[in-house]
Amino acid sequence: MSEAYHSLDTVKRRFKPRIYSIITVIGISILFYIAFLYHLQIVKGSEYQNRARAVSRRVTPIPAQRGEIFDRNHDAPLVSNIDSFAVNIIPGDLSDRELDEVAGKLSGVLAVSKESIIKKIPQAYRSLYQAVEIKSGVPFHTISHIAERIDEFPGVTWQSKPIRNYRDVDSMIHFLGYVGNISREELQVMYNRGYNINSVLGKTGVERQYDDILRGSPGKRYKVVDVQGRQVQERQYVEEPPINGNDLVLTIDRNIQKLTEEALGERMGSAVVLDASTGEILAMVSYPWFDANRFYQAEAERYYRQYALDPKHPFINRSIQASYSPASTFKVVMTTAALEEEAIDPEREINCTGRLRVGNRYFNCHVEEGHGPVDLTSGLAESCNVYFYNLGLNHLGIEAIARYARSYGFGEFTGIDIPGEVRGLVPTPEWKAATYNSPWVGGDTVNVSIGQGALSVTPMQMANMIAMIANEGHVYRPHLLKQVVDPSNAQVIEEVEPEVLRTSSIRSEVFREVQDKMRYVITDGTAEVVITTEAVKVAGKTGTGEVGLENSWTAWFAAYGPYDAPIEDRIVVVTMVEAGNDWEWWAVRAANIIFQGIFADQNYDEAIEALNWGWLHNDRH
Amino acid sequence: MIGTKSGLGMGESKPSLFGFDFLLFFVMLALMAIGVLFIYSSGVNSVGELTSEEYIQQIIWIAGALILYFVVQIPQYRNFEKWAFTIYFLNILLLIVTLMFGKVVNGARSWLGLFGFGVQPSEFMKLSLVLALSAYYNRSTANIASFRTFIVGLLLTILPMILILMQPDMGTTLVFIPIFFAVSFVAGANSKLLFYLMSIGILTVFFAVLPVWERYILQQEYRWLTLFEDVRLLLLTTAVFLFVGVLAFIGKKYTGQAYFRWIAVFFALVGVSLGISFLLRSSLKDYQIMRLIVFIRPEVDPRGSGWHVIQSLTAVGSGGLWGKGFLHGTQSHYQFLPEQSTDFIFSILAEEWGFAGSVLVMLLFATLLIRGFWILLQVGDNFAVYAGTGILFMIFFHLLVNIGMTLGIMPITGIPLIFMSYGGSSLWSACFGLALIQNMYLRRYKY
Repeated sequence: MSEAYHSLDTVKRRFKPRIYSIITVIGISILFYIAFLYHLQIVKGSEYQNRARAVSRRVTPIPAQRGEIFDRNHDAPLVSNIDSFAVNIIPGDLSDRELDEVAGKLSGVLAVSKESIIKKIPQAYRSLYQAVEIKSGVPFHTISHIAERIDEFPGVTWQSKPIRNYRDVDSMIHFLGYVGNISREELQVMYNRGYNINSVLGKTGVERQYDDILRGSPGKRYKVVDVQGRQVQERQYVEEPPINGNDLVLTIDRNIQKLTEEALGERMGSAVVLDASTGEILAMVSYPWFDANRFYQAEAERYYRQYALDPKHPFINRSIQASYSPASTFKVVMTTAALEEEAIDPEREINCTGRLRVGNRYFNCHVEEGHGPVDLTSGLAESCNVYFYNLGLNHLGIEAIARYARSYGFGEFTGIDIPGEVRGLVPTPEWKAATYNSPWVGGDTVNVSIGQGALSVTPMQMANMIAMIANEGHVYRPHLLKQVVDPSNAQVIEEVEPEVLRTSSIRSEVFREVQDKMRYVITDGTAEVVITTEAVKVAGKTGTGEVGLENSWTAWFAAYGPYDAPIEDRIVVVTMVEAGNDWEWWAVRAANIIFQGIFADQNYDEAIEALNWGWLHNDRH
Repeated sequence: MIGTKSGLGMGESKPSLFGFDFLLFFVMLALMAIGVLFIYSSGVNSVGELTSEEYIQQIIWIAGALILYFVVQIPQYRNFEKWAFTIYFLNILLLIVTLMFGKVVNGARSWLGLFGFGVQPSEFMKLSLVLALSAYYNRSTANIASFRTFIVGLLLTILPMILILMQPDMGTTLVFIPIFFAVSFVAGANSKLLFYLMSIGILTVFFAVLPVWERYILQQEYRWLTLFEDVRLLLLTTAVFLFVGVLAFIGKKYTGQAYFRWIAVFFALVGVSLGISFLLRSSLKDYQIMRLIVFIRPEVDPRGSGWHVIQSLTAVGSGGLWGKGFLHGTQSHYQFLPEQSTDFIFSILAEEWGFAGSVLVMLLFATLLIRGFWILLQVGDNFAVYAGTGILFMIFFHLLVNIGMTLGIMPITGIPLIFMSYGGSSLWSACFGLALIQNMYLRRYKY
């Protein structure tokens, strides 16, 4: 009882120290917290303010208009952009039931299944205000249909997302290339160059090579969002407007391209038309080609797969991405070597008996009974194999042949300004030893002497070879880009100057002599009956290579014209067909039409009319 | 006991209005009002719409709490001492009922539906324990420092802790520990035993947390820490420590050397802590422990358990000196900050009212607590001092842990900020407690 009763003073004395110590603990804690708050809010305040801003700020890119691509006439674009839209759904605006309803309505308007729409919006996104793309490539009239009935489409938005139009490019697709969404691998490599996960970029051809010029740079739109990505401030302010991409003017002449395309017809092969004095490519055709527009439509993947699996390989640009035996066209190189090296007296005649024995093998001429006595000029004109077997084996040797082949650019990249070209091959004893581990024999030299064996060149390299002769020692880098033009004021920003690729040490008299002999091929040789055009004097060389398989040849015609015009006016035409039958033995005829068309300024139909080849109107295989 | 009062001529009389402590009352009211403001603010979303009616609900809770506040003034506070054990055991019964029939909210069976209201008996249990402990210690004044008193007090505390841990609600369970220490300390319980218990507690937490600390926070390996990973090694170490402890104890018995006692104490404490930490770790998953210590380095799990800490720190820090203005906080209104109206109410306040507002709230709490203790010294009755200390320290502990959590210096436990966080149970419980202190003040000269 006495413990329970005590005066106030006793109590104070008893509890004071304990309660004071508790108050001290509390006081120190609260002072510490205030100090810590001071540290957070005053000392580090601005740091956290930046962090708070960063957390809630989102940047959306404003796409830049991709530059258009023109041919050298610079009037109508070859490749343009089509106004097109992407339709989005903002899931946060919709309940599950509403989403179901809207998806049902959209599926009717956009012609995609309701299930695929709903599948695009996973459960985890349902409460977010981040737009989810449902379909791109939607035309304007569909958008206006939705816009007029926007009350029926809650949560549906759209934005401009132009697609590339490759509608009438036909064979040009091989060098123009096409665009596509960036892949994960590409992004890893190019992230530092300003690409992002939504970038569209050139996948092949000019579109890829000059992507930096074409794409411009996207603008940035800043907005403030909450944790679900919903925009908070109504006013969007554009911080950086987009810079549109620049237009490209190519060296291609679309009329010549069309002419060349039709002259080659539906034959697997390639044709190149080159301005010899500048390296400008006027036309470049590879058959078969593909339709890139299909990659922006429904079932794009199915078409892509179909092209990829096609045994005719429509994705391959045969002009630069495939190499073939040059066959008899290589005799031009042999002739140059013979003259420059003075390895043989050009007047000296060799008797062609139809075949030549080397070791225990016989090598045939294409005329079974033989040409009889032939000199260098008639040997080239008649394309006599025996003459060149002899020249290669007994007068030049493989080292000299390989050296001259290389000096023409065989086995080297041409440096054309689109990606993917191949090198071809100039075989040498070292190469054979390294590849097959067997010694070089006379038969190998004999094969190379007529452009067979392991020797292989691309049609573009072949065009360069002719250009070297036509230019009498210079080859310019073949190129497709002529000008870069600012679309806003049509000002030329950049002009591509011709660039000398290689200069030969061969005397120009030798080239002139070779030109004469190539002209003789047309007037008195193998091409005499086929090159009938009177519009231009052509100088060239035919070639027919066996491709190992029965009834399978590579048919070439490599030429330039006019034969005697000033160097600046000379145009190189190379045609190559992978022939399997007579109808496809066509290289020389195609070149005849092309020369006629170019120099008489005619289209295909006018050209064949002028050549009296009217029967070709019905020439479809 | 009560009979003595009349003997002194201090018979029961009506409380006078002038005996009412307005400071204690109005500081509490101010905190409640600020709480309502920021519960309102937390209900405003990023486009400025009010999406929640919680602030109205809170006003209703406050109205009820204030009625309760005045009702509590009517009976003699000494009556609560008489009723203490009844209240305690009724509340224990409620906890058991809750465990059986309660509603599961946020993964814990802690809610009991009563007349259409949801009540958390665990919130009221804090107050019931304060009353029961105070009543028990007052009754045991004669042998307050004995081992037996200490153990009974401890058992009174542990019983509700076990029931609440079974819900499971770790945060609320933790609050009982400081209540026990505060009441026992002020009542004059055996300070040596209190010290041992506290040491065991701290060591246990330390040992239990170490392996997770190593793996997730330090993210590098320390060879010696495998001690806590390998069960056999841990048990062996525990046994060795306990054995040495017992040996030293025997040594002390025989030789009477004082240092033997310290050796015995040290080894026994470490041994027991190791043992308990082993039990603790085998009943808790790594991620549960991780949640408790992630505040040390929230960057190790920024999207998961560290999210709350990072967002709260950003909100508080970006407040600056004067804040972004009421209803202009970005972290909160853009909903980056979770659980705004309950656990993280202080973060919104700190963001919108800045350092100034934060200090205001801290000072209001300091005023409330110091005024409360001052009143206890004026009353000077054992039960009043014990119970008052328990109540005030409970409020302080909530403040410490809740605000510490928003500042990233305390683990995330889900303990509300009393008077400000949205919710009726903790508000009523704390209001009841302060009313009791007010009641004591009203009758300070009556005994």
